[in-house]
Amino acid sequence: MTGQELLPRNALVWIIISQFALLAPHLARLPVWVILVYLVAACWRTMVHQGRWSYPRRWTKLGLILAGFGAIVASYGNLLGLEPMVALLLTAFALKLLELVQRKDAYVLLFLGYFICVTSFLFSQDIVLVLYSLFTVVLVTTALVALHQPGENRFRPGTIRLPATMLAQAFPLMLVLFFLFPRIGPLWTVPVKSHAAKTGVSDFMKPGDISSLSQSGEMAFTVQFEGPIPAQSALYWRGLVFSVLEEGAWRSLRRSEIPAAETRPSIPDKADETPLAYSVLMTPTRQNWLYSLRYAESSQSGLLSTADFRLFTPVEIEDQFRYRARSWLAAPLDIQLSSWRRRAELALPEGENPRSVQLARDMRATSNSDAEFVDAVLGWFNRESFVYTLQPPLLGQNPMDQFLFQTRRGFCEHYAYAFVLMMRAAGVPARVIAGYQGGEVNPVNRTVIVRQFDAHAWAEVWLPGQGWVRVDPTGAVAPERIEFGLEQALVTEGSFLANSPLSLLRYRGVGWVNMLRLRYEALTYRWQSWVVGFNSEQQYQLLEDLFGSIRARNFVILFLVSGILVLVPVAWLLLGRRQQRRANATQQCYLDFCTLLARRGLSRDPGEAPASFAHRVALGNPALAGWAQQFTRDFNHLAYAHDGLAAGEYRRLLAALRAQLRQIP
Amino acid sequence: MRSRLHTSIAGLRQYAHRGFGHWMQRRIPAARSVTLNQRRIFILPSRAGLFFGVLLLVILLTAINYQNNMSYALAFLLATLFVVATLHTYANLAGLTLHALAATPAFPGQQSTFSLRLERGRLQAHYGLRLAWPDSGEATVNLVTTDSAEVHLYLPVGSRGWHHPGRLLLESTYPLGLLRCWTWVDLDLRAVVYPQPLVSPELVGAQGNRADGAAAAITGSDDFYGFREYRFGDSLRQVHWKGLAKGQALQSKDYASYASHSAWLDWELFHGVPPEQRLSHLCYWALAFHRRNEDYGLRIPGLRIDPARGDVHLDRVLSALALYGHEQPVL
Repeated sequence: MTGQELLPRNALVWIIISQFALLAPHLARLPVWVILVYLVAACWRTMVHQGRWSYPRRWTKLGLILAGFGAIVASYGNLLGLEPMVALLLTAFALKLLELVQRKDAYVLLFLGYFICVTSFLFSQDIVLVLYSLFTVVLVTTALVALHQPGENRFRPGTIRLPATMLAQAFPLMLVLFFLFPRIGPLWTVPVKSHAAKTGVSDFMKPGDISSLSQSGEMAFTVQFEGPIPAQSALYWRGLVFSVLEEGAWRSLRRSEIPAAETRPSIPDKADETPLAYSVLMTPTRQNWLYSLRYAESSQSGLLSTADFRLFTPVEIEDQFRYRARSWLAAPLDIQLSSWRRRAELALPEGENPRSVQLARDMRATSNSDAEFVDAVLGWFNRESFVYTLQPPLLGQNPMDQFLFQTRRGFCEHYAYAFVLMMRAAGVPARVIAGYQGGEVNPVNRTVIVRQFDAHAWAEVWLPGQGWVRVDPTGAVAPERIEFGLEQALVTEGSFLANSPLSLLRYRGVGWVNMLRLRYEALTYRWQSWVVGFNSEQQYQLLEDLFGSIRARNFVILFLVSGILVLVPVAWLLLGRRQQRRANATQQCYLDFCTLLARRGLSRDPGEAPASFAHRVALGNPALAGWAQQFTRDFNHLAYAHDGLAAGEYRRLLAALRAQLRQIP
Repeated sequence: MRSRLHTSIAGLRQYAHRGFGHWMQRRIPAARSVTLNQRRIFILPSRAGLFFGVLLLVILLTAINYQNNMSYALAFLLATLFVVATLHTYANLAGLTLHALAATPAFPGQQSTFSLRLERGRLQAHYGLRLAWPDSGEATVNLVTTDSAEVHLYLPVGSRGWHHPGRLLLESTYPLGLLRCWTWVDLDLRAVVYPQPLVSPELVGAQGNRADGAAAAITGSDDFYGFREYRFGDSLRQVHWKGLAKGQALQSKDYASYASHSAWLDWELFHGVPPEQRLSHLCYWALAFHRRNEDYGLRIPGLRIDPARGDVHLDRVLSALALYGHEQPVL
């Protein structure tokens, strides 16, 4: 090991800084002990550097590695899946610090650091995280530079300047590669996120589920309409259809429960209606279903439709997902109801909620038609003292009897549940629909942002001659929920986002905060569509816009031209004449001095020393004596002291010397 | 068959080596001062750079398999960083000037100190400039606050004569260590290698006086030490009458204690001894006289150095011995 291979202290400090910076984005996903490993490793290595402790022995290291493995298995249950593998990588990254002796160890550590940056992208490609990760790349590169500055034995923050410059120089070419590099499909299957929670509406609904989802301001999806945005009250985003009531909870029909003949949707008549076209950008849910307005069709490959008119994908949505759909809002659905379907949509568990069932049957008996019965039930909800609340009381046995006749405080799922129960009890086919209602229109880019607190449950009833008709019993209790959204509906209760006091969404009333937030949302949308979601389709579009046609030659030309455009200025900056030799710059200044004097008839003899020339000038032109002698003194100082001057000091003195030239009497 | 193949491969390699030598000679000719420019600087990925390439591949595969655009972006950013780093690595050597300063003489098997000056041409910090000759130790230089630095390299020398250290390697991997930038410079710097001192039992091939080393020679006041030219004022007892009788010039016998008297180290004193050995003996005696702080002169074919003493004189004498048969030293 030569002296050059040792680690300068500056490098060690930068390595430790970058380690902690790389750990930060993973914190929320990691067990606490991993953070402790980082702290212990950093302390230990610092102690080694100060000569107080020694490097761990081989057996200690082996013990630490095995302990790390064991702890990860204990924390995650297994080693498969992305989270435990990343945790393992991060632990190894920390422990590697304990055997950081030579430069080649540092290479391993820092290259691993670059890869850890990649692992954080597998969990999120949010614009803020990406900017932060860019900063960590600068830090890792700084450590790499510090590694090659032997003898720098004090921490120097200024080391970051060169790597930041280099990365800035590399950036434009990176963009070219990013947009030109062909995107191909996965080459093999890779471990996926196994420990992330499923988000959004679940395929199983008990009273209280949606109200707890509505505590969150997280984004569910963003919609961009091709035409004008429909009214808020028309935006019912259907996600799931619950047809089965079982053990106090609603769920969808399982695939095995549906006869083969009933699996395909019956295409409705939509001849005289222009569809709404829109694209939805979904945040990952780890679920299969997609959200759409009724009645939706999508020509996108990989998207399927069900018999209850929903869209879904066969694979769970692991990453942000964009799909395009068209919806016919007025198309009649299932004008003819099959007998199997009718039975399925009428099924009720025996003997539950007897008072509610009785009430429904009584009300149906006094109504002339199913439609009239629907109105009667809604009217009843509206008349009685029902309260729309995010904090409904817990319900026990026969929950709907308890809700309808005692507590009368509920969220949308309570009303939908009670309404569908009453419909089915009275022999009207009905089902609960879960999804989102409404959304916030972002005026910056005309998108509709749908958040978790827009989660909603409503009902569909089947009426003869009309097919499935949407009925929202919540609207009978709290019409402002449908018209203006959840915040307005909860204005008196004050429970909107009560658990997240810092959410920007709570400050929608403050104009500039709101504008800032909307701009950020618009930027995020653009980022997610154009950068995170950039795919081969957009690539073709871009290239066609640029060249008119896509040919290999164009790729090569574009890449070469941009390479030259970027690298030539960099080379010029680095190697160009601008950075003259110090000695030359000083001497040039003296030559200018001689030229000035030559114009006044005083020319320096070849080989004449500056001091004697100054003396001769003083004799020849006394008016110039003081100026010439001062200049010569300063020039001599600069010419003979320049080796010992710091760059900044040198430039200052040189500038002062040049300034003197202009002050010739 | 095999051996023939072997020799032909060896020959080919030798040819290639010679060819490379010629090519280098044309490209970077020997000079006392060499300024590094694109003709003289070579650049290739270092081992760490190849490892970095593997890392890029792994990141790219991750990006493809996870369909993760930010991972693509990072792979491309690091790839273009590598491209930009070639310019920065090159800039760390470009514009540097190497000046040959001096090489100290040394005895065979010892180390000579080669001194160089490394000077930067542009106002830019240069880090981790590693200098080494193939056999020497190495030195690492930073040029950050100063414009030039003096470098001393220690190099074991071979046999008597001139020692050419070959081409000097100047390399650096700064700033990222992913690329290695280097040059081989022939600085036209060589060291004098003195003869290996060799004890001779006596200075004269004649009288059997004991003189088994410098220490012994100092002892007696009348120990015979050698012959020198007769000078006016020498005692008659000192005159080498036998030689005079044989028709030689008038010579005095020199005795060890006669410190004021100067001695001649003569080529002819070691008659019949092979030249290299003669030189070694002469070297030994020159050192012995120097140690005793006495005057001594040197007479070898084609060169005569009058008696004197001191470090400079010793160097003159030893250099003359060192370069005997090579070329005359520039004195």
